[in-house]
Amino acid sequence: MNEAQVDGEGAVLAKVAKLLREVIGEEWATDVEITRETSFNEDLELESIEFVALAEKLQNEFGARVDFAGWLANQELEQIIRLRVGEVVDFITRCLSSSDKA
Amino acid sequence: MPLVERQGLSLHVQLLGAGPPLVMLHGLLVGSVATWWFGAAPKLARAHRVLLADLRGHGLSSHAESGYGLASLADDLAALLPLAGEGRVTLVGHSWGALVALRFALAHPERVAKLVLVEAPLPPSRLTELESFLSATPAEQLAAVPDAVRAMAARSSRRGSKTLAQVARLVTTTTLLEDLRREPDFAESELARLSCETLLIYGDRSSCLPSGERLARTLPHAELITLPGGHFLPAEQASALASLLEERLCLT
Repeated sequence: MNEAQVDGEGAVLAKVAKLLREVIGEEWATDVEITRETSFNEDLELESIEFVALAEKLQNEFGARVDFAGWLANQELEQIIRLRVGEVVDFITRCLSSSDKA
Repeated sequence: MPLVERQGLSLHVQLLGAGPPLVMLHGLLVGSVATWWFGAAPKLARAHRVLLADLRGHGLSSHAESGYGLASLADDLAALLPLAGEGRVTLVGHSWGALVALRFALAHPERVAKLVLVEAPLPPSRLTELESFLSATPAEQLAAVPDAVRAMAARSSRRGSKTLAQVARLVTTTTLLEDLRREPDFAESELARLSCETLLIYGDRSSCLPSGERLARTLPHAELITLPGGHFLPAEQASALASLLEERLCLT
């Protein structure tokens, strides 16, 4: 992995974490550490409607290149329940890098 | 977040995909745009412009003290429809949302292409959903929450309390229960006039199943399909229901 990719991924993680804190909108979320390993379900206890709001924010942030709902449509509910922040970061990074090449 | 203003209320919607318009409505109390977002909506969005709406007082729509009757909610729906695009709309609803869709289709038959009624309870005032919900244990109530992350709900104090806070607010500070009790039944004669194709989907163990059987007998172009489960099919049978809807609405 080259340095540019690492930087890209780190920047995406920072953006996802920022949007997640906005969606949760509670004081504890300001200080909570959000890493690749953070689980939306177990660690953040994200409500389903908050997850929908996060998807919308991601879409607005990254644009049509990132089809978050389409990505979820190909996953089983059980997979979505187990989702960790890193998987979302990887998905976004993949979308961004493939659209750069195109 | 897309909001539509109506009568001083902000109604929250989510839009997915492109194609002919399709609107999905959730049930009362524990429902929100998430009811369909974590199941059928992304799949149907492959071939439709899907509009998901939070009913007034639910999800991210603003609080409303009154107006939970079917005619009022059908008017809310009419205000949202232009966002879904031109042409006849396919309406998919769960529970009270299904009754809103049915009421809308009877009032505006020229605007509806197809109806999908999931667990529509009749007569509306029977409050089947509500009674079964309120008589359920807290664990069962949370299991009925259409939450992609519901598997952990029992451990989840934050999520559980937020969902139940919506229920408590609607039950104690709005006319919702009163509106439900006052809702008149649909007349057989008006049901018999419904011209659009209607898919009725019910849980084989649901107390609402007789309502589906009645609609199947009365509506001229209806088909009744049962799935294993109870009233909260969008949560209980998310995958099966999504596949069924995709097969019926996208592949035909």
